[in-house]
Amino acid sequence: MTTTDDTAVETSVDTTTDIAARKAALRNRLKDKRGSNEAPARAGTAFSIAELREHQPAFRGLEAGHRACQGCGEALGARLVAESAGPDVILTNATGCLEIFTSPWPQSAWRVPWIHSLFENSAAIAAGVEAAMKHLGKSTKVIAQGGDGGTFDIGFQALSGMLERMHNVLYVCYDNEAYMNTGVQRSGSTPHAAATTTSPAGLERMGKRHLKKDLLSIIAAHHIPYAASASVAYPVDLRRKVRRAMEVEGPTFLQVHCPCPLGWGHESSVTVEVARLAVQTGLFPLVEFERGEVAGVMPLRNPKPVTDYLKLQNRFRHLFSNDPRAREEREHLQALADHTIEKFNLRGEEADPLDSEGADTVRRGGLVA
Amino acid sequence: MLVLTRGGYALPGTSTDFKTGTWRTSRPQHQHWAAPCHSACPAGEDAQAYIAQVQENHPREAWETIVTVNPLPSVTGRICPHPCEQACNRGSFDTPLAIHSIERFLGDEARRQGWTYPVDPGRGAGAAVAVVGAGPAGLSAAYHLRRRGYQVTLFDALPEAGGLLRSAIPINRLPRDVLDADITRILGLGIEFRGRTRLGVDVHIDELRSDYRALFLAPGTAKAKAWSVDGAVPTDHRTALELLQEWVAAGSLPTPQSVILHGGGNTALDLCRAMKRAGVKEVHLVTASGLPGPGTEPDDIINVVPRELNQAVEEGITIHPHRTIQRLLFRGSKVVGVEMVALRKLPTKSGRTGRIAFEGTETLLHADMVIPAIGENVEPTGFSTLLGGKEYFRPNNPFGRLDHTPGVFVGGDARGDRGTVSAAIGDGRLAAIAIDAYIRQGDDPEENGRDTIDFAHINLNYFEPAPRVEEPILPVAERTDTAEIDGPLSGAAITREAARCFSCGNCLACDNCWTFCPDNAVIKTTALAKDGSHYVFDYEYCKGCGVCASECPCGYIVMNPE
Amino acid sequence: MLSALEGSQALAQAVGLCRPGVVAAYPITPQTHIVENISKLVADGRLRCELVSVESEFSAASVALGAAASGVRAYTASSSQGILLMAEVLYNISGMRIPMVMTCANRAVGAPLNIWNDQQDSMAVRDSGWIQLYCADNQEAVDTTIQAFRIAERTEVPVMVCVDGFVLTHTLEPIDLPTQEQVDRFLPPYHFSRALDSRNPLSLGTCVDPSFFTEARHSQHQAVLRATTEIMAADRDYAGIIGRSGGGLLSVVGPAEADVAILALGSVCSTVQESMQLFPQDRPVKLIKLRAYRPFPMAALREVLQGVRDLVVLERAIAPGSGGIVGMEVRSLATTLTQLPRIHNYAVGLGGRDVPIEIYPRLVEAITRADEPAWFEIFDLEPEKLPVEDR
Repeated sequence: MTTTDDTAVETSVDTTTDIAARKAALRNRLKDKRGSNEAPARAGTAFSIAELREHQPAFRGLEAGHRACQGCGEALGARLVAESAGPDVILTNATGCLEIFTSPWPQSAWRVPWIHSLFENSAAIAAGVEAAMKHLGKSTKVIAQGGDGGTFDIGFQALSGMLERMHNVLYVCYDNEAYMNTGVQRSGSTPHAAATTTSPAGLERMGKRHLKKDLLSIIAAHHIPYAASASVAYPVDLRRKVRRAMEVEGPTFLQVHCPCPLGWGHESSVTVEVARLAVQTGLFPLVEFERGEVAGVMPLRNPKPVTDYLKLQNRFRHLFSNDPRAREEREHLQALADHTIEKFNLRGEEADPLDSEGADTVRRGGLVA
Repeated sequence: MLVLTRGGYALPGTSTDFKTGTWRTSRPQHQHWAAPCHSACPAGEDAQAYIAQVQENHPREAWETIVTVNPLPSVTGRICPHPCEQACNRGSFDTPLAIHSIERFLGDEARRQGWTYPVDPGRGAGAAVAVVGAGPAGLSAAYHLRRRGYQVTLFDALPEAGGLLRSAIPINRLPRDVLDADITRILGLGIEFRGRTRLGVDVHIDELRSDYRALFLAPGTAKAKAWSVDGAVPTDHRTALELLQEWVAAGSLPTPQSVILHGGGNTALDLCRAMKRAGVKEVHLVTASGLPGPGTEPDDIINVVPRELNQAVEEGITIHPHRTIQRLLFRGSKVVGVEMVALRKLPTKSGRTGRIAFEGTETLLHADMVIPAIGENVEPTGFSTLLGGKEYFRPNNPFGRLDHTPGVFVGGDARGDRGTVSAAIGDGRLAAIAIDAYIRQGDDPEENGRDTIDFAHINLNYFEPAPRVEEPILPVAERTDTAEIDGPLSGAAITREAARCFSCGNCLACDNCWTFCPDNAVIKTTALAKDGSHYVFDYEYCKGCGVCASECPCGYIVMNPE
Repeated sequence: MLSALEGSQALAQAVGLCRPGVVAAYPITPQTHIVENISKLVADGRLRCELVSVESEFSAASVALGAAASGVRAYTASSSQGILLMAEVLYNISGMRIPMVMTCANRAVGAPLNIWNDQQDSMAVRDSGWIQLYCADNQEAVDTTIQAFRIAERTEVPVMVCVDGFVLTHTLEPIDLPTQEQVDRFLPPYHFSRALDSRNPLSLGTCVDPSFFTEARHSQHQAVLRATTEIMAADRDYAGIIGRSGGGLLSVVGPAEADVAILALGSVCSTVQESMQLFPQDRPVKLIKLRAYRPFPMAALREVLQGVRDLVVLERAIAPGSGGIVGMEVRSLATTLTQLPRIHNYAVGLGGRDVPIEIYPRLVEAITRADEPAWFEIFDLEPEKLPVEDR
């Protein structure tokens, strides 16, 4: 049997050499490269894609090479958020797909400081980071991230506490409406009648029996300065909301609707289309709250029938069977959409450039103003 | 050897070490389709391309794009029936782009700003080529040959170049200062113009064939088609073209109480309007074609500029669509009317379409004068050997190359299968290409082989309905024989109109692919991107999800299996 | 300068002297007075610190984690159920090698609900990768707390300072608080080599797969083991500046050559020590005050256990179904001694049961009387209080 001799060890393990070298290498890598609009000034030579990657006209907080599934809405959402927020930010991340696919050691897709601790404490970690920034007198903004499981369910308490304490933190919930990382189990965010592995459709059940939690209203009820929903289908709107939230001193919240091709059962290529239909049917309203009051909505020009949205997704496939309950649940979902449209007064009176049809209008030169 | 970092931290952006491109089963690729406007343009203009340049606020480059195929945009912008607009995908969404307005604007702007044609005659073979006929086909051929460095001599029977543009297009549709300026600019590129030189009279084709390396014939059609109804001809028989040319040249017209024109082209319509303005109370146009609308197939629409049709109706012209004249009514030897019958263009037993008249639909229409406007044939003087007794040359290829007569090419109305100024301009360009190949002893170049993108490929989510700009039009009461009826549009209006373009099948540079790629696998660059695009795919990381292809508003990205 | 201070008050002041940037805590008896007193320091402007009054112990630990990871000295405190609610975060902090300090005001863990002192709570998280230092009295608690920050920050292993609830936290004692100048000399400003910083954007808390997880655990284990050196160094340097040791890895009271030893952790050491003075016995007995429980100071223990024939291990927690927790580890270590002592393992004072001043003679009597050493017994059990079938 052996035991460790505790007298013959160094006082502490010095990692500075290691870290200093790595930092130096990193500084060289990032030198002049962040958020640069300028093409590299080198005449007469062709640029490789890898070089051009370093000279994109938008900040890349989330780099390529992450391991999200094809067509991942959450990866898209996180990319857009990090792009709009960075680079002077610190991100925290709840356990979940986003965390896993961005940080398989020794690699990380993040180009902003980022910390993952646990499933349920993203908001609390962010509160700690924010308190530290305050103590250090730094203006670095803190963004907490989590999926719907980490936000609606297990991390809800920490989130509520963070909001109540008025930390200067933007919390972003990437809402893909189920526990995707563990294999598509129902969450508090799963919509009514959606099939998941723990709310499967069968002879006795038509998918999830309960309703999708109206988290945004609950968050707004904390009387925080700003809480909004956004969708990956409307990147201009999403970016604006991120920037708006970043400008606010105090807690802010964004719920970003992110389709999950695997969990929702749709083609990877229609991620944006599905997200758009969620908005255009009224099932996922884009709403902004300020201090608990509705301060803005994205009006729906022509609300589409919910079946346009449902039929693209296998999680609702059972709603298109001959079972009379299928019809009933389709009508139920339509009624829920109608209710939401009425509740938030989403129906636009006339065509508006910022309504559900106009907000994604493209023009030569791009969406970025 | 990889060594664990304390606490398992990772360095930023190191995920690029992991090449997710290996996951891909299909890859996004840029596919530059032909836009419908491009495919539809007989002159070969790529409206999508030059409208893109207008969107980028590069009007001069836009004009240069046009004049690589068509040296006369301010002419075609005014008088072409613009099939591009009928083909425009935007027409299935709200209203087609006013492509003609943009084209006209650019042509006028080029003249106003003195932009020089991007022509460098210094290079090329320098051989001498003769062009016979200085109408749109001849001017186009001369121009395109000159662009390729040839020494061009342009012959015409009339003292001035312009052909029908000068002799038969009403001045209120095409102001002569516009035409003169453009022709002067084209001839100024170093083209020798010999007017008053009629083939077969002043110069002979064999001479030309021996003096020049190649020959392009674009004599147009000057010989009225034989016209009778069941063998009957009015005693005061004049063709519409004769009358129109007389009016354009001298301003004189017969003014009976009422007149019936028979035909379906601009000549007929122009004459209708001129006669109405000259004082004819009732002007009827009997045409076998239909009016634009749901009941008319696209290939059966009356071949006139659509807005002119509206103007004609405004001015009081009565149009009898889908009708033909099957009998003339006489009082003595004088025509007093016609019997019309309804007909339609329908598929026949032979498989081709034909016009079928319907028994029992006969109606009578009384008038003092009946004028045929059913077209003209090639005047054979000077060409009789080449024509071989036919009415037209009818070459069997788009380049106008005549079989058995090496080095001789024909184009324009004389081909027999054309009908518009734009088509004539296109012929001139194609012939120049073929003549160049002939002189260099190369093959005929391939025409653009791109497939045309259809409406279903456009992602309409990304476009907003927007009203089409309309040019100011003189009120009926203020219209005269000379003042231009269609007014110009401002640069701001043109910019607004250009912004409506779907950019069908070509990159809009809208950033959608770049914005929506979940994997950061689209790189925005003008350094590496080709074909007018602003993006390249980084296949090291692209997982092939297909979001970019779905969300490309323009159908410019396709997924191809690996 | 000595002043009479309640334990919690003294601890709060000790924490304040260490200039934490962020303190996060959630109230739980008996930890509350510590945090209340820190809050007062902040309120009075005597401590410039972000005080985050969170909504749970889970968040308290998380906030401290986030702050420490961001380059700011962080502190929290809890007890009992709170420690258990924190458990997941505690593993996380140590696994990420984030230096911070917390106080565990030791208390029993329910059910049945009990707010009084034992050490079940800290024992429940003994394997969480934290350094655990147990304090015999409030002076030690003050000194240990100050040392803890230096230990944590040099080793990048978090430190839990265990202070018996009520017995110490709520007891007034004369305390000598070091001066700010002394503490500043002892404890350099906080520095964390991997701090979250937008100028050097590292990713912390990644997913490590089986090909490296084993090595991650090994290095963590080694780091805690090696902390013994830093614990001793901190105590030595502290003594050099302040003139008083905090208790090293362990300390021995009584004759070194005694062949009877009593080993204990926390305030019970003080009770036993006083009892030894009040009730001297014939047989020479030494008291081993185990201050460092994690790292388990194997070399130091082997040294003081050489020649011991009877060893009493007193503990204030229980591993139901097995018995002693500390006892088991000591027993395991003892197998490496040249002479295996008779080990008497007793739990005492569970859930705040008073440890009587006669504890020492009673223990001596018990081990003298025993033919066989007690594998494990609850020393102060009153079995008649139980129905027969539950005894």
